[in-house]
Amino acid sequence: MKRIVIADDSATARMFIKRCLDIIGLGDVEIVEAEHGKEALTAAKAAPTDLLLSDLNMPVMDGETLLKWVKSSPKLMDMPVVIITSAGNPAKEQELLKLGALKVINKPISPPMLMDALAKFIDD
Amino acid sequence: MPHQDTPIYKAMIEAVRETFENMAFVEVAEQSEEIGFDIPTERDWVSILIHNPLQGELRLALPKNLLTTMTADMFSIDIADVEEVQRQDILSEILNTLAGLFMTKLLPNDQTYQLGLPEYGEGPIPESDEESLVWNLQIEGSPLLLVANGTGFISENN
Repeated sequence: MKRIVIADDSATARMFIKRCLDIIGLGDVEIVEAEHGKEALTAAKAAPTDLLLSDLNMPVMDGETLLKWVKSSPKLMDMPVVIITSAGNPAKEQELLKLGALKVINKPISPPMLMDALAKFIDD
Repeated sequence: MPHQDTPIYKAMIEAVRETFENMAFVEVAEQSEEIGFDIPTERDWVSILIHNPLQGELRLALPKNLLTTMTADMFSIDIADVEEVQRQDILSEILNTLAGLFMTKLLPNDQTYQLGLPEYGEGPIPESDEESLVWNLQIEGSPLLLVANGTGFISENN
């Protein structure tokens, strides 16, 4: 079973992401929800995690800080991180990709957008 | 209302339409005249600050009954089961998404921007002033009010 952590301070946004994942049909997946980066980091460390989907703009710990933590952690650095944001543009996207994000998706998301971003993850 | 041929006007209209159509599956129409809320207390509003590269605030207000219907549809629950916190969260997420799209459309591709976190509005929505641009729109006959507040937005409109 794959394990996915979703980090977003909005319950609505997490619901949208889960709905998109359902539509994509990833099979047997455990989804763990986190309301901010710190909670997501704790969740990702608690058990082997296959994928982290994170918002950028969150209280407590934002998505960019979370990405830096993940990519500097020997335990988590290989975990793919997809950033889903309302504050993205090509310049910001390049910054996040340089920091190690697998993909950056702009809100509002749709199943095809998520499927495209997760193509490699789905194939594996 | 901003000048209809300005980039800021077009950016906002596109952002509003894309956001509501993709998130709530409803169409937003432009309104030539100002349309008010019949009962001011029967509406929800939310705001978000823009920190960079210009400083401003966006405010979005919708009637509670429209927002309740949209929330029920989006969460696939009965209207009677919609909780206030769900309504507030949806309105906040809509403005958050809308604000990002708006700034992306307004600014050049190489220009980054920084948004604050959406804040649910308590009490009456602040009055618009000379530093405000107001969009009066509608969804299926119900009013949708959008306000961009700040001198940065005013200069984009000139």
